[in-house]
Amino acid sequence: MSVGTMAVVKPEMKSYIWIQTADGSIQQVEEEVAMFCPTICREIIHTGMGTSKNYAISLPQRVNPAIFGLILDYCRFHQVPGHSNKERKIFDEKFIRMDTKRLCELTSAADSLQLKPLVDLTSRALARIIEGKTPEEIRETFHLPDDLTEEEKLEPLNNVTDDPRIRLLNRLYAKKRKELKEREKLKNVEVEEEHVDERSVDDLLSFINGENGDSKGVKTNKNRKKNRRRKYQLKESSSNNLNGIHKDFNSHHSPCHNGELNDSEVSTPNKTSKLQCSTTVNFLPKIDFDDGDIDDDLDPAMKEELDREVEDFARRLNSDWPQRMQEILSLGQERRLVQGSMNGNGSTRRCTSLDSR
Amino acid sequence: MKQREPPKSPCKIETELDKLSNLPAHVIDQILSQLPIKDAVRTSVLSKKWRYKWATIPHLVFDNLCVAISSQEQTLVKNKLVNIVDHVLLLHTGPIIKFKLSHRDLLGVSDIDRWILHISRSSIKEFILEIWKGQRYKVPSCLFSCQNLIHLELFNCLLKPPSTFKGFRNLKSLDLQHITLAQDVFENLISSCPMLERLTLMNFDGFTHLNIDAPNLQFFDIGGVFDDVNFENTFHLALVSIGLYVNVKTDQTAPGNSCKLLRFFVHLPHIRRLEIQSYFLKYLAVGNVPSRLPRPCADLNYLSVRINFNELEENLAALCLLRSSPNLQELEMLARPEEAGMGVLTNFWEVDHWNSMFSQLRIVKILGISGIRSELEFINFVLSNSPVLERMTIKPASPEGGWDLVKELLRFRRASVRAEIIYLDS
Repeated sequence: MSVGTMAVVKPEMKSYIWIQTADGSIQQVEEEVAMFCPTICREIIHTGMGTSKNYAISLPQRVNPAIFGLILDYCRFHQVPGHSNKERKIFDEKFIRMDTKRLCELTSAADSLQLKPLVDLTSRALARIIEGKTPEEIRETFHLPDDLTEEEKLEPLNNVTDDPRIRLLNRLYAKKRKELKEREKLKNVEVEEEHVDERSVDDLLSFINGENGDSKGVKTNKNRKKNRRRKYQLKESSSNNLNGIHKDFNSHHSPCHNGELNDSEVSTPNKTSKLQCSTTVNFLPKIDFDDGDIDDDLDPAMKEELDREVEDFARRLNSDWPQRMQEILSLGQERRLVQGSMNGNGSTRRCTSLDSR
Repeated sequence: MKQREPPKSPCKIETELDKLSNLPAHVIDQILSQLPIKDAVRTSVLSKKWRYKWATIPHLVFDNLCVAISSQEQTLVKNKLVNIVDHVLLLHTGPIIKFKLSHRDLLGVSDIDRWILHISRSSIKEFILEIWKGQRYKVPSCLFSCQNLIHLELFNCLLKPPSTFKGFRNLKSLDLQHITLAQDVFENLISSCPMLERLTLMNFDGFTHLNIDAPNLQFFDIGGVFDDVNFENTFHLALVSIGLYVNVKTDQTAPGNSCKLLRFFVHLPHIRRLEIQSYFLKYLAVGNVPSRLPRPCADLNYLSVRINFNELEENLAALCLLRSSPNLQELEMLARPEEAGMGVLTNFWEVDHWNSMFSQLRIVKILGISGIRSELEFINFVLSNSPVLERMTIKPASPEGGWDLVKELLRFRRASVRAEIIYLDS
């Protein structure tokens, strides 16, 4: 009811401010809305401008007409008292839903009008867009020029690649590949010998067992169920990217690293290297030909198994693996791994002070 | 590795599209400050323009996001974290306004001394250090020379300021938890921070007398073990939450002493919100509790009290407080469960010649009750004296006897026709 009366009565009583945008166009804005922008407000109070079309207040260069319209929408909502915090939040959330180019323009315009709450809002939104993205993605999103050389990009890596676990992982991976190759050689010899009759059985088996095609498939399935979410991420990352990582890592690794550092670093975490050994020992025998006689199409299956094992290993080794990889990846400009939600900040510590209350 | 072509001369379209890089430096700082430090530092490989933009961000936050290693390997995490902080501090230029160090695997290592020394040379305003593990970390003396500090937050630290320490002249907010400091150090610290507005103390040792002399203090949140709390010049104090974590010794409860309740409120003329937690009501009940305070708490609109409904002294103190709070709008009563048992106290809250004493009371919560006589009497007392009551929420400590409790509640007369009673299962 009261809203209705306001809508009817107010317009006649409202006073307006004349405002000119950088392109020269002049428009009228409700005074209370215009006064919400500190820059305009100051202009009105100090210079008395804006009272007529000939004395319009000119806006800073950074405020173009389209963006100024947005800013007025923002001011119109927020200058009205009586909105609850929730309403304001909902408005703000909707308000910043726009493409990044506009969001940047809006930030710039709000800054030039000293509209601090809007600058806070948009810069938070921009930060949220940047957060967790790889440099490549950020560049793409914001149309940043890719004007650094690979060498320059690698500079900050010096520190990051110093992680002994990554090296362990790589070493393991290299070992596995070598084994795979050897086995393939061996297999090729076998295949040459008994070529024809095993073929159909093999197809059948791989069909029944799916792509895992061996007894260990059961085990991993169980695993998969248990940590389905994490597994999903890891699976994605391993199947898509592990090769990429590996290659990428090696190629980037060598120029920015010297051997001395490597050795001294590896010796520190004893536990990790022990873990590595035991893991290797554990799954090595399994790889040996317990299912060799049925598997002649070795390459893809073995490859997959290998990926799975490396991935298992990585998981066992430490759960932040995807993130570390991501760091390296993104710095090295490769495809991004899905970031695990593993940094749950287990903030239980304050309980001590609370529970005794 | 593919060889990148030499960078092209920046074409016009690209610079036009790149609105982000062309934002004013302080806006970019603001954006970067809202990123986890890892993401902020990583922007250095974006483009030439972004090479060193991160290096001037005034806010440095090293928390769980900056090394998300959940490894059992302590040294590994520690080394990683130390590396990162060293690296960032070395490359950072310009003032550091805020520094926060809080990682769940962080021990009080000597590396922190070095960082504090470094940032103490900057005009640091906000300093937050949380040592989650291990022994108390002794804060180096250089921290006490940070005269621009506005907010100081320490967790699991030992404070021993140098004798030359003259206080933090600009400090407005102090948050100390799991902290050790000597009695004289504590008093000196509080009284030499004249601008102090917010004070939080949780689980402290080394001092037992809380003499709070702070003319600008508005917010005071404390929980711990202490003998005594005295306010001095705290006329602006409006929000107080206070919990005494041990039962009051019986020799202190001997009547005859001057009443703590009176002493407590003398310097709190403008209190708006008060939470009395754990055993603090028992502390307040020491001495001869008057029937009401000489000067009512006219601004008090929220009161939360942890009470043993069986203990006469505590009920007396609570009644005194309620009588002295004419403008109370919200009340929360929490029964101390460990002491609930046989109802011994009866007819205490029956005296209802205080008609409509809660003239403003709208919302009441009564939690953790076990259905004993004095609890029911108290509920009856509130219902019959609150003419504008809108909602009373009752939650028992255990579901046993819930039905009987509800039956009793239904019988009570309500002074407010609008009052609804919400019974929550425990």
